[in-house]
Amino acid sequence: MSVEAIFVIVSFTAPKEIGANPQSMLWLLPLAAAIAVVYKATKLPTITVRNFIKEAAILFGSIVVFIIITALALYTLAWLITE
Amino acid sequence: MARRSKENQALFMLIVGLLAWLVPGAGHFALKEKKRSIIIFATIVLTFCVGLYVGSIGVIDLVGATPWYVALAQIMNSPMVALLGRLTTGGAYPVYGWPNEIGQIYTSTAGLLNLLCIVNAVYLAHLRSAETAGG
Repeated sequence: MSVEAIFVIVSFTAPKEIGANPQSMLWLLPLAAAIAVVYKATKLPTITVRNFIKEAAILFGSIVVFIIITALALYTLAWLITE
Repeated sequence: MARRSKENQALFMLIVGLLAWLVPGAGHFALKEKKRSIIIFATIVLTFCVGLYVGSIGVIDLVGATPWYVALAQIMNSPMVALLGRLTTGGAYPVYGWPNEIGQIYTSTAGLLNLLCIVNAVYLAHLRSAETAGG
């Protein structure tokens, strides 16, 4: 087994250091992208590269926008309660 | 004759569902939906691997995990995940805190996406069988 392969395998045996900070919220982006891609792969009647990328990008954008709106609404609610 | 056709249809749907569960995208591949199967396989495996990369293979815990996580990540995902879980029994790969959370969210989402694809593959198999039976 090559050194590179061993390095890749070993990287899966120890957790990464991720702090509980605002930047860690960015981990939702790849997840939203995965959900958009798989959902569109199951829903589109025919798959062409351009149409698929367009549809998945629209769904990804919709998910992110909805999350941002929800976050702003919750932030406003928390601000109204605590102020 | 009609009964036999119905039995074949049920068997076909069962095989497609089983294939889709064993390997993500294999159900669609069996239905000759190659583009879909490649996209599904790549995305689900990548999502699962990101979860393992962030949280380590310690996130696949057959003993100490909560029931929702066992259901989503270890039953909905391919049974190969359960085999992987046997490696981590006994707490050999401890993981806590934020990496554990992110790892569990990613691996369980991969399980949910796999469930979506299983249902979709079985539905497509049902439609194909109905079309064939209808002439």
